[in-house]
Amino acid sequence: MKLLFVLRQTFSNLWRERTPVMASILTICVALTIMIALFEISWVLYAQLRELKSNMVIEVYLDPALTERDARRIGEQLENYQTIERLRYISKETAAEIFEKEFGENIMDILNVNPLPVSYEVRLLSEFNHPDYLALFKKQVESIPGVDEVHYRHVMIEKLETLTETTVTGGVVVLLILIMAMNLLIRNTIKLSVYAKRRQIEIMKILGAGSLLIRMPFILEGAVEGLIGGILSAAGLIIAHRFIASSFELISFSPMIYKVLWVATVSLGILFGLMASAASVGRFVNKIFSKK
Amino acid sequence: MIHFRNVTVNYGYVPGALSDINLQLHRGDFTMVLGPTGSGKSTLLRLIYMDILPSSGIVTVDKWSSYRISPRQIRMLRRNIGVVFQDFKLIENMRVSDNVSLPLVIEGYRYSYIKRLVHALLDEVNLLHCADQPASTLSLGEKQRVAIARAMARNPFVIIADEPTGNLDREASKNVLNLLERINRNGTSVIMATHDYELIKDTPYRRIYVENGQILSPDQTITLSKNRINLLARTK
Repeated sequence: MKLLFVLRQTFSNLWRERTPVMASILTICVALTIMIALFEISWVLYAQLRELKSNMVIEVYLDPALTERDARRIGEQLENYQTIERLRYISKETAAEIFEKEFGENIMDILNVNPLPVSYEVRLLSEFNHPDYLALFKKQVESIPGVDEVHYRHVMIEKLETLTETTVTGGVVVLLILIMAMNLLIRNTIKLSVYAKRRQIEIMKILGAGSLLIRMPFILEGAVEGLIGGILSAAGLIIAHRFIASSFELISFSPMIYKVLWVATVSLGILFGLMASAASVGRFVNKIFSKK
Repeated sequence: MIHFRNVTVNYGYVPGALSDINLQLHRGDFTMVLGPTGSGKSTLLRLIYMDILPSSGIVTVDKWSSYRISPRQIRMLRRNIGVVFQDFKLIENMRVSDNVSLPLVIEGYRYSYIKRLVHALLDEVNLLHCADQPASTLSLGEKQRVAIARAMARNPFVIIADEPTGNLDREASKNVLNLLERINRNGTSVIMATHDYELIKDTPYRRIYVENGQILSPDQTITLSKNRINLLARTK
């Protein structure tokens, strides 16, 4: 019977304060949608960055005038680097084979001579695939006598890294503002509900009601707002995912993502709603309690 | 049952809402607390359901003492007494039956039991036909009877009625008094504050006269009561 009473009170509060309740639901919905979308974008960017870094190859081109012995000696010097995970010697012949594999033509047939230089293919340990270390490594290796040029795709990595950092930093700032707005609106709705029912709270107190029974309808009110906001946000995100998947052939989503979206968005909505209402209801009810 | 020992209440820096009150109220009694507006009647009653605690002295109500009482114990005390107010303190947009069932919901009783008991209580106060109406649609006299039904819901050992007839006409006031008398005859103590001397002049109950925060002696009470009643009679 207590549960029934609490639920009836919760829905009566929601109906009574329906305009601020709708504002709270809308804010929760927008905040959750942006939060999840930012999380997904950051996740994809990080995954791309990780992929790029793990497959990143640094090519150390040697002076064409070097003998094979000198080239091997440079290889021994490179092996001293603790940061190198794998080192591969690419002779002129191997370079020609790679060229043929990539471009489908034999370089000897085109030029009658093999101009491709001897090189080393270097893969660093993943934790050292950072633009700062890569620049340092390039500078050090290029200073070894006999090394002609060190090359890696640093521009793309740097751009992706900057984009990821900007997205995450900007996302966190936007998210904090949205969470604050969401918190403020839920608190305001709860405050209105508490003040609208202050007489009822006073009567219940005189009748010996415990604080949990008095506060629970208001706490649940926040949770219901979060639940509805979460459902709307999940629905919006799923529609957006389906639209993206149908518009761009290269992009597809696993069916699992839809289930994860439902669970994550709705759970987060309920959690935010509960936290904001639980934090505020205590304060507002206590204000009434302290007067009595 | 209820014992006031050297009780003084000061509101903030204003002294003497009640001064050095010594009083004993017995189980099963019907007690009238009389006195003009602002004399301290309501303060005396609020001390019984511990809405306020004494500035000094001790109030003992059954097994609860104001000397050391936790908020939880205050809640327990209130679940054992019924309180009726001049302004009824009903939840106006709630149905009459829901208002009466509120103390039982707080107690955590089962729905079927609450439904049966509320039916019996509304029958007792002759308001069964209003059970599904919002409390706001009732007349003032009916509202007060709903408030009494609610106060009776948990079968309290005492009902505290603070000016229960203050907003009612003569007929409704008599009905409320009759109802409280009937409740008292069934063994529940009733403590009723009023300044309506005309209403209670023929009742045989114990009278406590409060003036300027002090309880007057029985002799003073009788004299004052008679004077007031005579005064009222002369002005009519």
